Formats: sequence, structure tokens, C-alpha cells
Amino acid sequence: MRVTCDIFCTVIDNFGDIGVTWRLARQLVAEHDQIVRLWIDDLQSFCRLCPEASNEDEVQMLQGVALHRWPRQWQQVYPADVVIEAFACQLPAAYIESMAQRSAPSLWLNLEYLSAEDWVSGCHGLPSPQSKGLYKYFFFPGFTPQTGGLLRESGLIEQRLSFQQDATARQQFLQRLGVSPQPDTHLISLFAYENPGIGSWLETLSVAGQTTHLLVPEGQIVADLQRWLGVGKLVAGDLHSRGALTVQIIEFLSQQDYDRLLWSCNLNAVRGEDSFVRAQWAGSPLLWQIYPQQENAHLQKLEAFLKLYSQGLSSAAKAALLAQWRAWNSGEDMRESWQALLDVLPELTEHAENWCRQQAAQINISAALVQFYKNWVQCAPKNTFPPSLPGN
Amino acid sequence: MKTAQEMKPNSVALIDGQPWLIQKAEYTKSGRNSAIVKMKLKNLLSGSSTETVYKFDDKMEPANLDRIEVTFSYSSDSVYVFMDGEYNQYELNADDLENVLPFIVDGMTDICNAVFFEGKVISVDLPTTIVRQIVYTEGSARGDTSGKVMKDARLSNGTVIKVADFCNADEWIEIDSRTGEYKSRAKAPV
Repeated sequence: MRVTCDIFCTVIDNFGDIGVTWRLARQLVAEHDQIVRLWIDDLQSFCRLCPEASNEDEVQMLQGVALHRWPRQWQQVYPADVVIEAFACQLPAAYIESMAQRSAPSLWLNLEYLSAEDWVSGCHGLPSPQSKGLYKYFFFPGFTPQTGGLLRESGLIEQRLSFQQDATARQQFLQRLGVSPQPDTHLISLFAYENPGIGSWLETLSVAGQTTHLLVPEGQIVADLQRWLGVGKLVAGDLHSRGALTVQIIEFLSQQDYDRLLWSCNLNAVRGEDSFVRAQWAGSPLLWQIYPQQENAHLQKLEAFLKLYSQGLSSAAKAALLAQWRAWNSGEDMRESWQALLDVLPELTEHAENWCRQQAAQINISAALVQFYKNWVQCAPKNTFPPSLPGN
Repeated sequence: MKTAQEMKPNSVALIDGQPWLIQKAEYTKSGRNSAIVKMKLKNLLSGSSTETVYKFDDKMEPANLDRIEVTFSYSSDSVYVFMDGEYNQYELNADDLENVLPFIVDGMTDICNAVFFEGKVISVDLPTTIVRQIVYTEGSARGDTSGKVMKDARLSNGTVIKVADFCNADEWIEIDSRTGEYKSRAKAPV
């Protein structure tokens, strides 16, 4: 019997939540032969990530995944073997009711946001008693073996290396995007939220001895670029040069093409969660803009990752990395920090590849979920407290 | 019903009709992650322990508890004996006192609350503010008087907490027993 899985996702803002759940759904189908329904409340946003999707259809099959519009008026369905509420979204009450009525209980998981903080490993996989004798388990992605790992498709690193070793493939891909960088120019991708400090960074790039070609998928940061360039509305295809810096707007990319963009660049500025993880699989230096929170609640999370990621760097490279990432996330002037980063870029490039290999040696989220389910089934879950602790 | 965040250590929740003593409750809010409360629970009927995670606003059913005032008498091995005003003695194991154990010291005179579930003593609550003596701490190297610079200090039972840099050995300090955090300098109890 194939295992069935329902994944629920509400789109809060941006593309991180649906990006993660869409990847996970595809991977559970392609690599674990599961029957997956992905419930999304905002198909319009989804269509940008997956251009072959339709905003009109209530149900559509995409890459083996049954994509469902999450209706406001819930229509009863038989619950799946595995139920994933992504990022603590609220499941329909009637669906929870039917989970409780199943003869064999569903495994109910809350897939949480990614964090490198220490407390995550102590909470990963723990049960949470709910009403009607149901138990929900907290599933935390992370960077250590005590967590659920990161989303990574089978063969991803090999695909990336193959692409990077094939100069023609890279050139053809960039040409398809309308990008023709000069030889020896630094190619940097920029996917970011608004950033009040970005002007100082652009200024630095424009007066540098090294030329830079900045590739910017359409998104929130474009408004900041318009202001700095002193131009009107920027759209895909627009290209402006200021000194050593060329800024080019490109269209919003599918997940597969965004990967290739990351693989093509010398450095990637990324944001949130999904692009942040993809940039790590790209094996190139990255600059992470964490999702900003009130009262700077996000900075603790940033520091936790920096602490982990900077292990093994020389003191100079570590100092440069920390300074640049902190400046990037606090909107500070980046002239000094960027120069310091460039000085250690070769070391950061080698480090990024090592980090990628280190993380790729760990279990990925979909495999960890499947293993968690297998263990849970073997524990013969009974609706009594405490439930079994299946572990990874 | 109470939210998970409102359920404090030494309270009892009824889960599937079973009484579970909350021995530890750690609240965490980080970035976009859900605010959660990680709990260590002990079943008051079977003695078994488990850990759970709740979203901070998940509903929990508190059990009715009784409390009477007691003072600490003595400890022997890992058994701690408390006594009420009528000289009744109540024995608790160290496991039952996990949350307050770091602040139980010989000779303490705090008026505590013994906590009962269906007539059985299950734990002890300390007063919110307790006064303890520092037996050892390093001297103040920087001469900081703001109270913002902290350093380690050891109490008579070996517990180490963070105190203001200007605190010295033999001094008495106020501690928040719920959090274990230093509050201020204090006078010696009479």
C-alpha cells in the first residue's frame, strides 16, 4: 500500500512557505512513491513559482502531486496516513475530526521553520497532545543530526557539479535569461527583501576595481534599486550600468531555473528560508537576509546560524563574514564590510563547498519524514498518552 | 482551561484523564517559528516521565490542587522533609523537587507551599522572591556598578547563578525562584 500524505500550507507572504511545501510534495512523490495532496490557499502566488500551474483549477496534477485549492468552505475528504501542517497553519476543524475517526490514526506533523538555534534539537520529534486523543509531532528542519535535516532532492549536488563543469550549459542558461556577462566579471544574484543599507553596497560595487554583474529576479528589492539608480519602474530585461556595476532585472524564475541561477553565480544574496537553503546547495558564498521580525527577534536566529556556519573559517574570514551578514541584516553601511569580504572570498568559496558537502551527508527532510513515519507505525501508536516517540 | 503558556511548573494538567505534574516548562519564541512551550511531565499515578511540546496557545486542562504552608526541615540522601504548622511531615524525593531543588539550602526559613493532588503531596513551591547567601564569587574586575555586567556566584548548596558584578562573597542576594535569576542585593534574614 502506498502511503498517502496531505500537506497544508497557507501563504502568509512571499514565496518561502509554498516554496518549501511544493519541493517537499514533489520529493515525497518522486523519491518515496507517496500519494501526495498539497493544499494551498493562494494559487496565484503558487503560479509564479510553478508557471505550469493554473489559478483557475480547484484540483490539478502537477509533477505527480495533486494540487488542491484549500477552500474557505472545507469539503470533507478522507484524511491521509501522514498529515503535515506546514509552519503551524491551522487545519480545518472537520479534517481534524475525521483524523480522530480513522481506524488507523494519521501521523500528524507540524513542519516548522528552519533554525540553527540549540533548542531546536531538543524539541524535534516531540509529541503534542491534542483534543480527541490525537497527537501532533513537532518536526524541525535543521543543520545537525538531531534535527529533521534540510530539503535536498536526490542527485542535486551531482546535477549542480555537472552544470558547473559544463561552460556551455551555463552560457546557454544565462543566454536564455538574456544575460551576457563580460569575461571575468563577478556574477552576483540578488533575491532580497527591502534593505535600507543596500545603497552603500551598490555604491561600493560601482567604484570597485572588479566588475560586477548583478542579476535581480523581479521582487521586493527592485524598488530599492530604482531609487539608487534614479530610474522609473524596473522590469525584467532592464539593464543599467554605474561604473563597474551592471544591474540587470530578470524575470521571476521557477525553482529549477533559480537553482541554475545560483549555480551560475560567484555569490548569491538570498532571503528567508527556501532560497537560503538552495544557496547552500549551490556551494558558493552566500549572503543571507533573514525574514525580519519585530524587536529584532530574528537576529538571534541569524547569530545561531553564523555560529555554526563560520566554524572552520580563519579568524579573518570569520570576522569578514560576520560583519557583512550583520550589516546586510541591519541596514548598516557596507562599504568596509564588503571590501573585507572580498579579501577572503576565495576562502569563503572553498568553505561554502565544504559546508554543502557536510550538510549533504546528513539526512534530508523527506527521507527523515519517511523514516519518522516508519518508526511511528512500528511503535504501534495507541491513542493514549504518552504516545510512542518514533525518533528519526 | 488554560493555555500552555499559563501552565507553570508545579501545576498539574489532566491529559486523557491522567494527572501530569509539570516539572519544567520552557517557553521559546524564535523568528517566525511558533511560540512553543516544551514541558517535562511526570505522571502522578504511574511515576513515568515524558516530554512534550505545545504551541503557547494550546489549551490544557488544569487539575485542582491544594496547598498548605510548610517550612523545610532537613534532607537525608535524596529525600527532603518539610513540616507544616501542626508538625506534620511531608517527604519528597529530589525528582519531585527538580524545579526548586537548586534553591533548597540547609537552614532556610522560607514559608513554602506544599502542593497536593487528591491528598498526596506532589511538590513544593518556594516564595517568588527568596534570599540566599553567596559563598563564593570572583572579585569585581571592572568595578562595574550598573548591575548589567554579570558573573558567576556559588550558593551554599553548590548552585551557581549569575549575579551583578559588584556582588561579593558572603553577601546576601534576592533571587526570583521562578526563573533562578538574580534580582538585587539583600539584607541577611533575621
